[in-house]
Amino acid sequence: MLNDIFNILLPHICLGGFIILQLILSIVLSPRLYRYARLISIVGIVLSILLLSTVQTEPQYFAFRGSLMSDSYTLLFDFAILVCGFFVALLTRKLVKTIKRHAYTFHAILLTAIFGAMNVISANDFLTLFVSIELLSFSTYFLIAASKGYPSKEASFKYLLTSAVSTGVFLFGVSYLYGITGSLNLSQIYEITMSTEPSIMYSIAAILIVSGLISKLALFPFANWVIDVYKNTESSILAFLSTIPKLAVFGILCRLLVFPLSNSFELTFVLAIISLVTALWANTYAIRNNNVKVILACSASANSAYVLLAACLVSVYNLSTVIFYLLCYVFMNISVFSFLNIHDRLNVDDYKGLFYKNHGLVGAYAFSILALAGIPITSGFVAKIYLFSAIANSGLIFVPFLLILLILTVVALYYYLKIIIPLFQSCDKNTEVQKLNPVFSQKFVLVVTAIITLLIGIYPEKIIELCRFIAYNI
Amino acid sequence: MDIFLSVPFLIFMPLLVSMFLISPLFTTNEIIVRRFSKGVFLFHFLYALLMLACFDTANPYISEIHFFGLDWIQSMGVKFIFKIDSISMIMTVLTSFVFLLASMASKFNIRANHKFYYSMLLLLMSSILGIFTAGDMFVFFLFWELELIPAYFLIGGKYNGVKSDDEPNAAQKSAVKFVLYTFLGSMVMLLGILLLHYYNFISTGVLSSVFGDISASRIPEYIQILISICLLIGFGVKLPIIPLHTWLPDAHTNAPTSVSMVLAGILLKTGAYGIFRFNYELLPDAFLTIAPVLAIFALVNIIFTAFVAYAQTDIKRIVAYSSISNMGLVLLGLCAINKPGLSASVFHMVAHALITCGLFMVAGIVYLRFKNRDINTLSGVAVVMPRLFGFAMVIVLASIGIPAFAPFVSEILTIISALNADFSDALKFAAVFSLPLLILSSCYMLKFLHKSFFGELAQEYEKVNDITIHEFIVLASVLAGLVIFGLYPNAILGMIGG
Repeated sequence: MLNDIFNILLPHICLGGFIILQLILSIVLSPRLYRYARLISIVGIVLSILLLSTVQTEPQYFAFRGSLMSDSYTLLFDFAILVCGFFVALLTRKLVKTIKRHAYTFHAILLTAIFGAMNVISANDFLTLFVSIELLSFSTYFLIAASKGYPSKEASFKYLLTSAVSTGVFLFGVSYLYGITGSLNLSQIYEITMSTEPSIMYSIAAILIVSGLISKLALFPFANWVIDVYKNTESSILAFLSTIPKLAVFGILCRLLVFPLSNSFELTFVLAIISLVTALWANTYAIRNNNVKVILACSASANSAYVLLAACLVSVYNLSTVIFYLLCYVFMNISVFSFLNIHDRLNVDDYKGLFYKNHGLVGAYAFSILALAGIPITSGFVAKIYLFSAIANSGLIFVPFLLILLILTVVALYYYLKIIIPLFQSCDKNTEVQKLNPVFSQKFVLVVTAIITLLIGIYPEKIIELCRFIAYNI
Repeated sequence: MDIFLSVPFLIFMPLLVSMFLISPLFTTNEIIVRRFSKGVFLFHFLYALLMLACFDTANPYISEIHFFGLDWIQSMGVKFIFKIDSISMIMTVLTSFVFLLASMASKFNIRANHKFYYSMLLLLMSSILGIFTAGDMFVFFLFWELELIPAYFLIGGKYNGVKSDDEPNAAQKSAVKFVLYTFLGSMVMLLGILLLHYYNFISTGVLSSVFGDISASRIPEYIQILISICLLIGFGVKLPIIPLHTWLPDAHTNAPTSVSMVLAGILLKTGAYGIFRFNYELLPDAFLTIAPVLAIFALVNIIFTAFVAYAQTDIKRIVAYSSISNMGLVLLGLCAINKPGLSASVFHMVAHALITCGLFMVAGIVYLRFKNRDINTLSGVAVVMPRLFGFAMVIVLASIGIPAFAPFVSEILTIISALNADFSDALKFAAVFSLPLLILSSCYMLKFLHKSFFGELAQEYEKVNDITIHEFIVLASVLAGLVIFGLYPNAILGMIGG
């Protein structure tokens, strides 16, 4: 028994140890040694990744009376979260420089967020899920507020308020579900709901739970925060914000939709509508904007909407497409934000002519944006086709939905082009094109993630196979 | 002989060369870049000719690429497969030829960013060859989308070497317009492909997207029609079919001459090829239902744009609208759903590719010398450029359907085959009413010839030179093609078996 727990929790424990270490160092060490904070985080994350590879996946393991679980599904998501965390930690160099005094605290919070995200994936109990999600969210509020200036604090507060409301909704739904089934454990709830007739209360509970979760994904009723937060936050935090919470929440959402909440047609319908409305809102909002970060915020929102539509039409095939899409998506996003980390400007016109002095960097950046738009030889192309094929396979009712989403991707291409075109435009006569000089870690992240995007785009089969294997084993 | 003939080499050679050309490994010396890429195009053309010579209509070239022993996307049944049958072979050779001409025409139009320009041209060639030879729906779609990147940079890029501040300029705007229109079409097309893939899986139980494995006969009729319409919207943007055509005149007018040649000569044909590959071959039942409606659209294309072309004053716009008109004829030939109609429309694609190449070349030469393409202010070109006038006159006459040139054969054959289509009166109606095309096209073409070449020459242009040897070669090879296929149309018709 103890062995089981240890087997599952080893990476978590390691990460927890490093959180404590960072907190201690934040008190002990002088602020002049701020630059080691990043190093310690990276070491912690890499150690966790190594320990993760020792975890056994077969069969499913449960810990703490079934409130945490581990199987190949959680393992894959943990791995993805840790890799994203590794890249994000690499990118924090610039930010840490501006908050020297709090560097260790900052990194402790970053690790806590990653820890929370990993726990969200492993949760097999609504209580654990609730605590982990709050751990993730509260760390996120602090991370957002860590950027310079007053607006980031305001954005963080806005996110907090939206999140608090959605948490209330989530808890309300959980209480209903508890009332119906008398249990908080996901496996038990699944067994009970399978053996009884679905009732309307059950559907209401399911809808409330899911609507509580989706605020983290910047989906429609709770999407307002995303613009403010993206506009005012440092890009390394955005690399975190657009990947790790998304992986965690979609990971658990898919599990919920496959297991305890699979019995409700109303939920599917509501989610499809939410996805459609979000896609409409996000894509049309971005057209009028010239702010790169706002455009990327809208793109994050819209991508969540596409994934949600595939995820809510539950089937094994759809699940594999969702996992594949998420895996491709996080790498594109980190790549994009790592370039923004090198050249942090808001207006698209500030990027004019950069290509002519920085071929490689801007090429990789443009490539990643094209990947977001779904142009061939990037992973985005394969991911999009694979995801949309899942929606197309779900029946004729969803064809109109799919058609609208497809047309909205054209709108999306328009605003992505708005980012790309200035890069290749010639500059005004009196301004000199800037030669960027990134540090090694920024270059490393940008190039590695762009290469991953390219490789998956050319040779996707191995990753798709992995996703299918995991989807079948859930 | 067979070991020298490799389909992947034919398709990916330009892609690899383009990567090599744009990389820092290659020199930036413009003369070397130009000569090297011209050599590559010439080599590719000769290679394509070799493949044509060894081609056997009974067993087409098929080649499949494996990725470490796996299919491309195995879980969706997508195979990276290429198949060259007779129509693909014709289009491949045509593509190679038009790109060779375009690369020769580039010498005078392209004055900056040589490396970038030629690598994009090669990339465009690779993706178009991929479209024409793909043996799988998703591979087809991949190349269809891939073509957007080079096409955007070719239309919107600045290659004239003049520094100006008028950003965003017209070329860039029309490039964006082109990309968005095509992307819109291709997204709707993707819906069609996904549905076809799925319903084929349901009805036959085979999870595959290879063209040969798809049989639509057991798919419900209304779904077949739905899929057909989705696909047609995608191809209709490229072809273009009339309400979806507005990107075309802008893109053709603002692009450099050589790019216009490629756009009108080859890019539009991908739309017609797609209709043939998908609607005509894979969904024959639905196409039988749709064809009469489509024939009416084709008629609108033919007649309406001919009138529009007459109203234009810019030479390039005249040629652009005449392309739409001619592509309507190609569409009409496909709608006839019989062997003569099919071969006529393929033949017309070839003939029209040659014609537009010639006409855009003439427009480019005139613009290069006179910095003017407006036929109202242009006059007396023939006085200083008699040789150009000779070529222009012959090409214009060929384009309006004078016997002994290729378009004559294809136009007549198309209309006859449409008249022979028995399944609907709409085809006959369209065939009869598209006959005025022959008159209308002579109206706008002769107007262009008359206004720009005859008349008084302005004094400042008296020292303009006649065509150079480069331009001579391009125009002469266009003319040679027109005459050869005009006198011996069986070269193409025989391959398709009309």
